[in-house]
Amino acid sequence: MEGIRYFDTYRREGGYRSVEKALKMAPADIVEEVKKSGLRGRGGAGFPTGMKWSFLAKPEGVPRYLVCNADESEPGTFKDRYLMEFIPHILIEGMIVASFALGSNVSYIYIRGEYAWIVDILEQAIAEAKQKGFLGKNILGSGFDCEIYVHRGAGAYICGEETALLESLEGKRGNPRIKPPFPAVKGLYDCPTVVNNVETLAAVVPIINEGGEEYAKIGVGKSTGTKLISACGNINKPGVYEIDMTISVEEFIYSDEYCGGIPKGRKLKACIPGGSSVPILPANLLLTTAKGEKRIMNYESLSDGGFATGTMMGSGGFIVLDDSQCVVRHTYTLARFYRHESCGQCSPCREGTGWMEKILLNIENGKGKMSDIDLLWDIQRKIEGNTICPLGDAAAWPVAAAIRHFRDEFEWHVKNPEECLKTNYGLAHYADPIHVPVSA
Amino acid sequence: MMPQFSEDSIKKVHEMMSHYPPGKHKSALLGVLHLAQEEFGGWLDVPVMDYVAGLLKIEPIEVYEVASFYSMYNLKPVGKYLFEVCQTGPCMLNGSDDIIAYIKEKLGIGVGETTADGLFTLKTVECLGACGYAPMMQQGKHYREHLTKEKVDAIIAEYRAKAN
Repeated sequence: MEGIRYFDTYRREGGYRSVEKALKMAPADIVEEVKKSGLRGRGGAGFPTGMKWSFLAKPEGVPRYLVCNADESEPGTFKDRYLMEFIPHILIEGMIVASFALGSNVSYIYIRGEYAWIVDILEQAIAEAKQKGFLGKNILGSGFDCEIYVHRGAGAYICGEETALLESLEGKRGNPRIKPPFPAVKGLYDCPTVVNNVETLAAVVPIINEGGEEYAKIGVGKSTGTKLISACGNINKPGVYEIDMTISVEEFIYSDEYCGGIPKGRKLKACIPGGSSVPILPANLLLTTAKGEKRIMNYESLSDGGFATGTMMGSGGFIVLDDSQCVVRHTYTLARFYRHESCGQCSPCREGTGWMEKILLNIENGKGKMSDIDLLWDIQRKIEGNTICPLGDAAAWPVAAAIRHFRDEFEWHVKNPEECLKTNYGLAHYADPIHVPVSA
Repeated sequence: MMPQFSEDSIKKVHEMMSHYPPGKHKSALLGVLHLAQEEFGGWLDVPVMDYVAGLLKIEPIEVYEVASFYSMYNLKPVGKYLFEVCQTGPCMLNGSDDIIAYIKEKLGIGVGETTADGLFTLKTVECLGACGYAPMMQQGKHYREHLTKEKVDAIIAEYRAKAN
């Protein structure tokens, strides 16, 4: 909508009503509404937001902080960018309500350094809100004071992990902290802190306006409300879509309302539906679960079958591969990404990500051995669960899933070292019956 | 010579420091380093980092360890215009390999190199959150998206004209 980036239009369209309503409520009741809404963290982990808020420690005389995680860096994910760039006030509005509910008088937006121009957009929105009395001292005469500041990162995927983010906010390297203590007890400057994703905080606005129960009516089961999906890769209409988590994956990919199908008459080969860390699925398992049910775009359905035959909702970074793409090469670029982004604290991740990258590049370049495939499997298993933060898992899962579902394509590279440089394996696997190795 | 921020930048530094609680001004380090890189030629030389340490009253090593951790800080000189081309999965699916090869050929440099006239440096980067608008690159504060060979030609011509 024209002008929705600016306060006046946003306000005219009903913006900031939730702040007016929330400031008359008891903070605990706001937390209760969010609990009732069933809202789950939209950054990737899907943890219930209301529960996260209720864990916040409230010792006397110690400041509490709300920090917005706008470090969006998971490959395939660009939804928060869209929200902040075009509707910045919805984030500011959600943050004011959340700050009041949590008792944070100074809240921060930690934004990835590359989104440099969005920093200006957010700062302008904050200045407008402050000028209109929605931020600053004694907001709307309620006695509640709140400031929001934008803190710009400088290029580090790891700072999306909440404790690394807090380190970075303190002006340090983004090395994740050992948990416990969790940020709810010891977060920013050792004070109780809640870290929430941009989309999560924006969702607080309709929850307060309509009430938690109304919000929970949208969607299905434990996937309540709407979710932003950033769709990319080989599709006709890449972009950010808001879905209500009841539509099928098939409809999402092929409907003109969403991705609009696969370009150039090509066929769907595979998809990573929740950001690069979540398991890749071949077309057959993507569209239909192993039980033979239509797969739906929500938390439960996408993870149906566990990692053996399912995947995850993750951040909603939806990456589509057509039949001209090479799964080995794609997995290699992801492995290179994780090697580049490993903070280096834990040896399994620091060393393992580099080994996986090198082995994958060898296989891709026709220099791989059959035993390399098992070696890759072995390395990823030794990374998973053996690191301080989830980056280790995030690096292991894409490699594991690629081998689990596309082992034939890896073997084809090894057996055809010259041909694999000239052509791609194509769609052969798509036609295969569902096959899950015992090791999965 | 000791680097020195302009008066305007000093004001910005104090403004940034005011965003954090008393005694927590180290939090401003990332922002001050961005400012320093902009003002002192696009990269962070040791005297610049020492100057920043002095401004924030922290040890130089605290600045070095941060500057070396984050990928946006350049620890070596770069050309006037830095092309940071994304090469991660979603961009690769949309032809970023070809774009990188084309820029190399067009500028006659490899990744990490600067053209002889000091105008352009090519750097490959990992996911910048523009996957739906791939292939793409960052130049300065902005993204250049949906890259094609023709677009790359136009971008290079644009900066050449700007530099003259």
